[in-house]
Amino acid sequence: MPNPGELLGGLVSFIGQQVSASSLRLGPVPAAAIFLIMLVLLSLVARPSARWTLRDVGRLGAVTRAMALAAESGGTAAFSLGTAGLVRGVSAVQRIQTLVALPILAHVARAAARAGVPFRVTTNDPLTAQLAASAVADAHRRTATQEREQRSSVEYLGEGRAVAAASAIVDPAAPAAAFVAGGLSEEALLLLVGTSQGAAWTSFGTAAASQAPAVVMTGDGTMIGPELLQATSDLRPGSERIAVLAANRLLLAAIVVILVGSAVALLAGVDLAVTLAGG
Amino acid sequence: MPRNVPGIIVILVGLLLLVDFVVINPTLVDVSNAVLRLVVLLAAAAGITGASFLVMRHGRAVLDGSPHRLESSVLIVGLVAMLATGLYPGSQGAADPAVRWMVTALLAPLVASLFAMLFVFLLVAVRRGMLLRSRQMRVMLLAAAVVIVLLLPLGGQLGGWLAAVAAWSEAVPIGAVFRGLLIGVGILVAVQATRILLSVNPADD
Repeated sequence: MPNPGELLGGLVSFIGQQVSASSLRLGPVPAAAIFLIMLVLLSLVARPSARWTLRDVGRLGAVTRAMALAAESGGTAAFSLGTAGLVRGVSAVQRIQTLVALPILAHVARAAARAGVPFRVTTNDPLTAQLAASAVADAHRRTATQEREQRSSVEYLGEGRAVAAASAIVDPAAPAAAFVAGGLSEEALLLLVGTSQGAAWTSFGTAAASQAPAVVMTGDGTMIGPELLQATSDLRPGSERIAVLAANRLLLAAIVVILVGSAVALLAGVDLAVTLAGG
Repeated sequence: MPRNVPGIIVILVGLLLLVDFVVINPTLVDVSNAVLRLVVLLAAAAGITGASFLVMRHGRAVLDGSPHRLESSVLIVGLVAMLATGLYPGSQGAADPAVRWMVTALLAPLVASLFAMLFVFLLVAVRRGMLLRSRQMRVMLLAAAVVIVLLLPLGGQLGGWLAAVAAWSEAVPIGAVFRGLLIGVGILVAVQATRILLSVNPADD
């Protein structure tokens, strides 16, 4: 049995061998830049403390009202997690859209659980179905409504983008509130129109830039491009959300005043650069 | 399992793959490949689980006499047929001629017929968008009308001028919008990847 000194020596030797057997794939500057970017993201961006836009992205702030209307009309709520999935998505940008849609799903599921609205989630990806089932179960646990969990369902529709689109078109059930969030492709229009049929309240979103027109045409609330990724950070209910929204509106007013004031000053012949910087 | 254990696993695997991307080291390559093989196994297990649940759900619909039992029966028959042709003794799997025939002669035409309805659904979507009366919809319809005018098949000096403006529109304003969307998506993908690596979610904020 080696003594602690030999063990330590062996460990140091192993580390030395690994270091000597390694080389930087991108060179020192790009490698340092990658780690620096990671450090900045970790320290500054991972916990954003303010909203980045003014409007209520995807009308997610009104989900509670939508669920109240659904409950009053005896309707259901439907949520589709797009068609990219996690296992079947071919690119990281598509897969991450599914990942960021899961907190949105959890937000909607909590509202549905509180309102007692039957909630149906559909996806064409098996791993996503498992995660969605966990999110729905967690929503009922957090809202202490486990007795209503039987009325919620998560359905794996089968493989393929066409399957999700066809299911949305032929499904006779018309939900009172319909949501689609996640990666979409050429089937977007079919899926969104099919999902929105008969729905009194819709919120659709995808980061696929080419499918933005389909989202605009079919959704009351829209999350286009980066908005889908940003919406997750904005799911902060309560007074803090209202305060930040009000602060952002004040910022918008300040920007308008500065722009209009600058234009007036320029038209009046005042050189702002000289005025501000001196000289 | 403590709540933070999955987060720690995600962080460790993410850092391992990041270091493997930056540093060339045979040991790191082996470890990263092993982790990626585990991911593939996880995906395969999820696929089998998903298919099993699908069969169970539709099997129950058939047995219970659901109004949609015919569709459920077709799904189960199709699944069994595809499995039988891909797994019979001596089969070439996905490359087997029988599997290929089912894909090219049955699946592909079905999918093509579905996407052939895109034009009809586009009209339905435009109607729905006009009913919504959103500002985004108005701007989009206006832009679409302008593009249709620019792409009119006209000859002569007017046609040349319209074609030039159409090319400029595609390269400058439309291109700028798409580039802006892609840059925004790229930045926020990095942000969200970091949030996922750190297991930060809205409930934690």
